Amino acid sequence: MIYFVFVVLMGLVVGLMAVASNPAPYFAALGLVFSAVVGCGFLVGYGGSFLSLVLFLIYLGGMLVVFAYSAALAAEPYPESWGSWSVFLYILVYLFGFLLVGYYCYGWWYDFYWMSLDVFGEMSVLSGDVSGVPMVYSSGGFLLLVTGWVLLLALFVVLEITRGLSRGALRAV
Amino acid sequence: MTPVQLSFNTAFTLGLMGVTFHRAHLLSALLCLEGMMLSLYMGLSLWPMQLESTTYMTTPLLLLAFSACEAGAGLALMVATSRTHGTDHLQNLNLLQC
Repeated sequence: MIYFVFVVLMGLVVGLMAVASNPAPYFAALGLVFSAVVGCGFLVGYGGSFLSLVLFLIYLGGMLVVFAYSAALAAEPYPESWGSWSVFLYILVYLFGFLLVGYYCYGWWYDFYWMSLDVFGEMSVLSGDVSGVPMVYSSGGFLLLVTGWVLLLALFVVLEITRGLSRGALRAV
Repeated sequence: MTPVQLSFNTAFTLGLMGVTFHRAHLLSALLCLEGMMLSLYMGLSLWPMQLESTTYMTTPLLLLAFSACEAGAGLALMVATSRTHGTDHLQNLNLLQC
């Protein structure tokens, strides 16, 4: 299980490399989907199953669908994949830099053990994140109010940016 | 630096370098920002799991809500840009005539 989590961690870095190497936005969205799925697996392996579920439902199901939809706005006739030479050069540079940093940090990997959340909680009913997240309803109620207010404000910001016939997504035929 | 810290720090740095160096599409920059938000989510959720403090488990959820606001504003800017300039190439924003 430990080495599975380790492989999944490297998958997170590889997915971000696929995003950051400037391919066409279709492929960048695909790399981000891969990275988010791998991040869900990593959180499950580390012990936070509820946070992984939230990441899967909200991030992957909500936001990335919107991104994949709006990739249609950024259409181009010849999209560059990772096999294209300019993109592949960036991937090589990023991979070399990551290996260099990893080799530099290799001597400090003395605490290579993985202490997950419930390693001492054999007697507990709920896992740690399930019992920790509902704190937002009791102690963190003010933060919940602030977050709701920020979401409402973001709604009006979006409506104001895309208002009018010249800037919105709807076109007057 | 443990492998966990190395991985999400490297993911954040990769997203930052993607935003910095690649400005062909606006959507690519927004996707790199989302990658940075993903690595921040991982880091913020690993921090209370490593320290066994369940009180701070709410911080990644609040970060996710704020990043949803950021993604909404960025995509609205992209829609407005592609509506007025025809495409979302950032090269077109510098042209004097389009």
